[in-house]
Amino acid sequence: MKGIVFTEFLELVEDKFGIEYVDDIISKSNLESEGVYTAIGTYKFSEMVQLLSHLSEKTQLSINDLLYTYGLHFFSVLQNSYNGIIEQYKQPIDLLNAIENHIHVEVRKIYPDAELPTFDVSHKDASRITMLYTSSRGMYSFAKGLIESTFKHYGQEATIEITKLNDAGTEVKFEIQQHV
Amino acid sequence: MSNEKVALLQRALERERKARKQAEAILEKKALELYEVNQKLQVSNASLEAVNHKKSSQLDGVFDNLLDAYILMNLKGDVIEMNPSAKKLFGYNLDFEHVNVVHLIYKEDYKYAMQSYWQLINKGFFKDYKARIYTKNKEVKRVHINAGLVYDTKGKAIAAQGIVRNITEEYKEAELKKALLANLEKRNQELKDFAHVISHDLKSPLRSMNTLIYWLKEDYDSVLDDDACEIIDKLSTKIEKMDHLIGGVLEYSSIDKVEQPLEKVDIQELVQDIVSVIYIPENIIVEIPQKLPTITGDRFRLQQLFQNILTNAVLYIDKSRGLVKVTFEELKTHWKFYIEDNGVGIDRKYQKKIFEVFQSLEKSDHSTGIGLSIVKKIIDFYEGEIDFTSTVGAGTCFHFTLKKK
Repeated sequence: MKGIVFTEFLELVEDKFGIEYVDDIISKSNLESEGVYTAIGTYKFSEMVQLLSHLSEKTQLSINDLLYTYGLHFFSVLQNSYNGIIEQYKQPIDLLNAIENHIHVEVRKIYPDAELPTFDVSHKDASRITMLYTSSRGMYSFAKGLIESTFKHYGQEATIEITKLNDAGTEVKFEIQQHV
Repeated sequence: MSNEKVALLQRALERERKARKQAEAILEKKALELYEVNQKLQVSNASLEAVNHKKSSQLDGVFDNLLDAYILMNLKGDVIEMNPSAKKLFGYNLDFEHVNVVHLIYKEDYKYAMQSYWQLINKGFFKDYKARIYTKNKEVKRVHINAGLVYDTKGKAIAAQGIVRNITEEYKEAELKKALLANLEKRNQELKDFAHVISHDLKSPLRSMNTLIYWLKEDYDSVLDDDACEIIDKLSTKIEKMDHLIGGVLEYSSIDKVEQPLEKVDIQELVQDIVSVIYIPENIIVEIPQKLPTITGDRFRLQQLFQNILTNAVLYIDKSRGLVKVTFEELKTHWKFYIEDNGVGIDRKYQKKIFEVFQSLEKSDHSTGIGLSIVKKIIDFYEGEIDFTSTVGAGTCFHFTLKKK
């Protein structure tokens, strides 16, 4: 998993809960990296799982809620680095529609070893899009947060209906209706 | 600040420091990788440039040395580039003047030109456009053009290029040839008709002469002495020979007259038929050691061919035990036949003469001198060749080829 996901995550934890929380979840986890992360490194996903579950324990918030909040925040990270790509799309639905066939294609050019989720679009019109999220990580809540921020970025709102197609949440249907 | 807080901050600081070092190490590695990639790129760029340069100088060479005219135009027909041949052909120089291809089109060919242009735009090319064009000083020339569209990297048509060949002379020559050919055909026809008419016209007085001689002999039998009778008999023979001669001319002129249908002809059977029909003295044997093939041709001409050679072979045998041997060989595109005899032989000096019409090497009553010329004509018709090998006194071998149909 890309280091920026870790560094941004820990920064967010520090912002919301304080540096003690960061220290706590790192020392409770058994981390190969010893909690040392840089945005340009690559680390094991299992480290993220440990950090998340310890944070969840400590805050009594569900992992999915935490991921959702992180997703909401993470859009701004992407915007900082890749505003050029975002600006190519005039509507949030167009951007979502392009994740698989454009954005991820570009991501792979920069990070050939990136392990990306897939977003298969099964329906799309001006105000509605249906996508199937598939990822072994089951981070669909993170995706939901990102999607909501996307609409917000364009000054729009949407209702996002989520249907888990399995318990692990590795296949999840997103039905998104933009508010008119 | 509590000790605990200090320790926590120290840990955080330590992580940050390590992260920084890690980042620096990663960046260092990346920088090195970039440097190496850059080095490689420079090398491949240099070789690409070399290839590019080579290609473009090759193209320039082709462009300048092309004997045909080369024209590059935009899709509106404005000429952008002309090679030296094009400048020479059309007489324009793009450095000083603007040329649009529409102005080059001969007015009567305009519709055809527009159709070709339509094909170019829609299909991307046209081929074998043959029409007239105007040069700068209003000369009219005939040209042959192949043209195609030029596309940019995205596949959008941006121009059209054409190779223009000046076929003015070629066209004139072809026209001349056509006229000559037509004339020749007419002449040939006249000649054939002439031969036919002459033959027929000559034959009827001969028949009358024959009848008259017969009457002469019959009516004046009592008054004619032996000498007179002998002269009259010689006269009859000469008339008969004349008749053969005329018949031969008729046959010769009719070989390529009628187009016979092609069929499978069993040469073995054909030769055996001939042997049974023509007169063969008892001291002569015709031998066919190997069964002759079945070939495609027209039966009448093949019969004439074999009959003439076989008759000749038999005729000129002077040995007490005569032998005529017929053999063949299958070549890639032709059949080759050999007809060998142990007759008088032919001197090499007659080689050219014997296939000419009316050439008989021996003054003989039954030789018209037409036979071998018929043979030659038939073989020409079958795109084959005939020749012979001979030893005077020992025999002759005629060999000829016939193209497989």
